[in-house]
Amino acid sequence: MKSSNTFNLLLASVAAAALMCFAPIPGPGQDKEQVKQKGGKGKGGPPGGEQYGPYYAAPVTAGEPVGRTPDGQPDMQGFWTPRFNQAIFEVQDHPTAQPGIGPGKGAIVDPADGRIPYKPEAAAKAKELLSKQIYLEPEAHCYVSGVPHAAYQQFGYQIVQPAGYVLFLTEYAHTYRAVPTDGRPHVSPNIHLFRGDSVGKWDGGTLVIDTTNQNGKTWFDMAGNFTTQAIHVVERITPVDTNNINYEAVVDDSTIYTQPWKIAGQLGRHPDRNMELMEFACVEGNQDLIHYTEGVGGKAKEKK
Amino acid sequence: MRNRAAVILSLAAVVPLAAQSYKAPRTADGKPDLQGIWQVMNTAAVNLEDHIAVLDMPAGRSVIVDPPDGKIPYTPAAAAKQKENFKNRAQADLLNQCYIPGVPRVMYLPFPMQIVQTPKYVLIASEFAHTVRSIYMDGSKHPNDVDFWIGDSRGHWDGETLVVDVANLNPGTWFDRSGNFHSDALHIVERITRTDPDLLTYEATLEDAKVFTRPWTIRMLLYRHREPNFKLLEYECNAYLEDAAKESR
Repeated sequence: MKSSNTFNLLLASVAAAALMCFAPIPGPGQDKEQVKQKGGKGKGGPPGGEQYGPYYAAPVTAGEPVGRTPDGQPDMQGFWTPRFNQAIFEVQDHPTAQPGIGPGKGAIVDPADGRIPYKPEAAAKAKELLSKQIYLEPEAHCYVSGVPHAAYQQFGYQIVQPAGYVLFLTEYAHTYRAVPTDGRPHVSPNIHLFRGDSVGKWDGGTLVIDTTNQNGKTWFDMAGNFTTQAIHVVERITPVDTNNINYEAVVDDSTIYTQPWKIAGQLGRHPDRNMELMEFACVEGNQDLIHYTEGVGGKAKEKK
Repeated sequence: MRNRAAVILSLAAVVPLAAQSYKAPRTADGKPDLQGIWQVMNTAAVNLEDHIAVLDMPAGRSVIVDPPDGKIPYTPAAAAKQKENFKNRAQADLLNQCYIPGVPRVMYLPFPMQIVQTPKYVLIASEFAHTVRSIYMDGSKHPNDVDFWIGDSRGHWDGETLVVDVANLNPGTWFDRSGNFHSDALHIVERITRTDPDLLTYEATLEDAKVFTRPWTIRMLLYRHREPNFKLLEYECNAYLEDAAKESR
């Protein structure tokens, strides 16, 4: 058994524990120093030079020039770990601690204050979810993440590029995201999916993915920042070298935001080139729902 | 014996052996190209053996081509256990709790699945619960001391055929909705061959000395979806299960 397998397996069990208590805890092999590590000065450094974490992020190292796949796509294949500050806990800057969510930075670069430009009633709903209905957090129920949440998923993901597609295989919940790059249109607007419908195209060295048809049942994070079926996301994914990918996404939903907003982050190649994804069997081992009563989708009996 | 001969002939008619005359198109690295979106048109997910219909479970013929009687060669204790499983299937079939279906069951669920290939991997992505199989084509071995609901798959090419060795399987999965089952000793060798532009012949030999008296083999066809722009949608089983529980209260 490869050491990376053991490591990854441990990480997956720690993940389950983290989901259970909503507390940021470092994974094995990831000490506090690493969590606090500042971004590198090279082209691999995370935006703003802020801290990584809370999960394992590959150290920033310069790579070789980007190669090409047999069908001519810029080659991003391999295992990647996201650097999006603490966006996995809350996508926007969150200077004040909330239960289970420490103060930290999100990944929003526009607007400049790092906050989601909610309309007032939407801001109130997000606040209500965070303060009173955190049991609805979709990943506590093992739902697959939407877009762009899937791009900064904890534990990272593998990118595979067969002809005509870019696939993202996420360790979390053992799922995939398949993005066709053959110019096909979106599915009918009558269809709504957890992961939405993604279509991609290469714009020079940048993969541009347009995602619609999401179902409004996913959150950006663990902090109540919800979505609706009207969300439209355009991601721009640019490999810089063989070890670094720049990522940005513009999120638009005029039903709840006053303006489109943008997140940015980076992906670092996992240093273990023999890495293999493990199986994060979420439904099969989920302990989260024993904390919640049946009335809110959990497994605990209602108190009489 | 006459009956037995008839069974063999009829099975041969259902799914012919890989037609060696057909040669699949090639990928950029020269391997048979199995890529596309595929789906069975059979009732193996209901029962691998011959079965008449019951409520919500349509009738169908056995997909077992060896042994020739089309039946799973259970030990007597295992045969009794399967009967118990059938009786308790509503609760005991973990697929009803939206667990990862395991191999070979994921291959013949009534959901489309997409095969993609690179030189290092063959990936099989099912629409059911966003489940994905990674088949490693780099000559690596199964890991030790760990099992997976979807097992561990290592493959190689034998001419036109993708041969996949599957081990490390979690004993909790069943083969079908009728309680046909295995233990942690299950070992599978799959043979997947493109026998026509729009057909894959799928064959799997299963051995498990704790449950079966001998290895046995299933064979079936996978049909290619030819609808323009066909793509996998999703079946997020656990979310629907929660919705149904809420509605029933």
